[in-house]
Amino acid sequence: MKKRLSLMLVTLMAFGSILAACGGEEAAPADESAVTTPAETGEEATEETPAENAEESGSESAIGLTEATDMSMNPAPALARTDSMIIGTVAPQGVFNPLFHQTAYDFAIDDIIFPSLIKVKEDGTYENDMADKIDISDDNLTYTFHIRDDANFSDGTPVTANDYLFAAKVLMDASYDGQSDPLSWNIVGANEYNEGTSADISGIKVIDDKTVEVTVSDYDAMTQINLGLIPPMSEAYYGANYKQGDVSSIKELNNKPMGAGPYKMTSYSAGQEVDMEANENYYGGAPKVKSLIFKVTTDLTSISTLQSGETDLDNVTVNEDNVEELQASGFLDVDILKNNGYGYVAMNNNNPLFTDVKVRQALTYGLNREEVVVAAYGPYAEVINIPQSDVSWAYTAENIDTYDYDPEKAKQLLEEAGWVEGADGIREKDGKKFEINFSATADNPVIEALIPIMTENYEELGIKLVTETLDFNAIMEKKDRGDYDMFFAAWGLTPDPDTTVYITDGAQNNSGYSNPKVDELYAQGKKELDLEKRKEIYAQAYQLINADAPEILMYQRTNMLAINGRLDGWDISPYKEYQHSLSQVEIAQ
Amino acid sequence: MSQYIIRRLLQMIPTLIGISIIVFAISQMVPGDYITASQNPNMTAERADQLRAIYGLDKPPAQQYFVWVKNMLTGNLGDSFQHKMPVTSVINTYVWNSFLIAFVTLILSWTIAAFVGVFSAQFQYSFFDKVVTLIVFLLMSLPSFFIGLLVIKYFALDLKLFPTGGMTTAGLKVSGFEQIKDIAKHMVLPVAVMTALSIGGLTRYFRTGMLEVIRQDYIRTARAKGLKERTVIFKHAFRNALLPAITLLGLELPGLFGGAMILERVFAWPGIGQVYLASLNMRDYPLMLGFTMFLAVLTLLGNLISDVLYGVADPRIRLK
Repeated sequence: MKKRLSLMLVTLMAFGSILAACGGEEAAPADESAVTTPAETGEEATEETPAENAEESGSESAIGLTEATDMSMNPAPALARTDSMIIGTVAPQGVFNPLFHQTAYDFAIDDIIFPSLIKVKEDGTYENDMADKIDISDDNLTYTFHIRDDANFSDGTPVTANDYLFAAKVLMDASYDGQSDPLSWNIVGANEYNEGTSADISGIKVIDDKTVEVTVSDYDAMTQINLGLIPPMSEAYYGANYKQGDVSSIKELNNKPMGAGPYKMTSYSAGQEVDMEANENYYGGAPKVKSLIFKVTTDLTSISTLQSGETDLDNVTVNEDNVEELQASGFLDVDILKNNGYGYVAMNNNNPLFTDVKVRQALTYGLNREEVVVAAYGPYAEVINIPQSDVSWAYTAENIDTYDYDPEKAKQLLEEAGWVEGADGIREKDGKKFEINFSATADNPVIEALIPIMTENYEELGIKLVTETLDFNAIMEKKDRGDYDMFFAAWGLTPDPDTTVYITDGAQNNSGYSNPKVDELYAQGKKELDLEKRKEIYAQAYQLINADAPEILMYQRTNMLAINGRLDGWDISPYKEYQHSLSQVEIAQ
Repeated sequence: MSQYIIRRLLQMIPTLIGISIIVFAISQMVPGDYITASQNPNMTAERADQLRAIYGLDKPPAQQYFVWVKNMLTGNLGDSFQHKMPVTSVINTYVWNSFLIAFVTLILSWTIAAFVGVFSAQFQYSFFDKVVTLIVFLLMSLPSFFIGLLVIKYFALDLKLFPTGGMTTAGLKVSGFEQIKDIAKHMVLPVAVMTALSIGGLTRYFRTGMLEVIRQDYIRTARAKGLKERTVIFKHAFRNALLPAITLLGLELPGLFGGAMILERVFAWPGIGQVYLASLNMRDYPLMLGFTMFLAVLTLLGNLISDVLYGVADPRIRLK
């Protein structure tokens, strides 16, 4: 009991401190395509809570699915639900509209109500969903989507090309304030519609009820995805009071969504629950479980509600205690999935300290990353060497230096770069001491693990590490001014590998890294539509980035889903989230 | 009296203007805005500018302030960036859930604290007094989330007496009395914890107030007259001991609507506290500023009410 209590205390303290940290150290959301971008809010940052102790390192099997062992332990409330399932979720904000939603929790619910023309596959590529055929012209500028004949909204009316056009109009509207950047998709006539000089988008032509043709002025690999992910929205339902230049009448319906997906919403009470019912008209076949309820839980109640049988599925913070507790219950499947994102230590590549590639490599070799990651996450995170998830089609391990901890090599590289040990043991070059100023956020578990190890490791190399503690937003401001040495942050990864993080002056390039070859490869990769060729291009880019070491790549962590073993038929992967399986899930009896 | 109230209400205007300037200035000085706080990795600089223009964040701060104040005077607190609906409806959606538990807690904690305080004063330094003091200090010093989780473990998970969290049973479709029963069942644990936490300080107030009063001459006189001890305590002493508490009662007003950030999270209670906290994190200024002003008005009103009540309860005080 005593031990249990103290463990509980540690968890609690971790929670308390994260609550105080607020800002969200994960610098980017976990999943999005250009259309739908759930932002990682403060709550989600709590997922960064690490394992309390890291004794059991190196167990290879920590990541993956562990099946329930003893279904007889299943509590009565769960068994009593013979035609319904309850999913625990962090409170959604009530923006149940795929054009406007922002958090991952609204996003999950919208995913079930509003299917798009295409959907994501396990490896991050896309396949047809509501469209049964997509034709692309030879010049890659015209995309013709054929909507399935049996696609109907939950009110029984058919999904038509007009509904697609309507959704596009809302996105291009001057008053549209959602997370997407629709004008960057280069649809012909989008700017005219946005500015109000035209009442139509000339690039979107309705050919017939089920066929729509979209013309773009310029294409890249994302074009097809961006266009395919515009979810058709019933014009009859949403468009009744819409006037060009004012989308407020659409937002008023945010809490009464109506779409073509497997479930329809029957009621919503803010902060409590969302009730949904199977949509008999769903083109993919009516779901097997008739009623679906989202119940609001928090990171503090998610385990207890699962244990008491009040919920059937929930996201739980990954750490050894939680994993142990969930597995001990016997009736829960525990699925530990790679997170779509990675943590890294940014170095200011424009700072004279870090301009030399040898120095950057030395700092990577000279840091015991394995030890940091184990201290922060136990076995539930892995050290990475390229900025890509190993579940992505773009991942490569060929010709990638793993930068295993090697202080001797690091010292040698520093010598080569001209940094020699001074009288006080600190390396110097041209009379300047090697002193790194690390901007750290308070109360971040990764930073708490990182700083002591980094200080010690770098001291051995003859480098002095000075830490200053700042608010995350303040660090981001310093970064924008280019006034920093090092900081820790994390990026979310989209299913597509295209990004601006490593291209010269890219919008998300935090480190000031610049390599013309990498720029060229990213530009090629974006323009190339053939998947095999893209694989090669990105592999080359990752090899260059790996060799240049523009930042110290740290880890890819995991997320944990616990699912009551009475539910079968899931097909879950890091890109394909649980909500995509809901229409096929069955209750085992 | 009515003149006094009107004068006090008029005095609130410059105070509120001052508060509005301060909270607005603070919001402007905090690094980051809603666009940066949403941390969208696909956000281009052009799109960020478009959004700032839509939200009016591109205007100079002074102009933003006057637009905000002007809208506020017409009862329009603006639209929440996060919730994409008017701030007033966001507050209205969540605040009553917070009010519900806060109100029940208020009644319970005041009743219990009054009785316990009076008795431990009456039997000062007795065994009862010592035990009560110990318990009260214990409860006061425990962190709320800690006892919150502890009661969930014992009463919800082990004994299965109450639900683990939330306000209603998911999927239960009932109305009328059954619904009230369901909500009441969910309220027991959060209310119990909140009461336990607030009872501590209150008991000390009542005890001190009572101790001061029962040493007064008129109490000795009452006893000398041969009045029953119960009459002395509850009729003569208690009313006077209550006076300082009236000030406290007025200050509880904003607390009734303010929500409990931490406990709402522990019990997954759909209150305003969590929503307010999220608005701070997300730099959702309309919601953050709107709710802060709402609380400021309540605080000022609470002060006024306690002053007025003080005058009513204590004839020695004349309000001018």
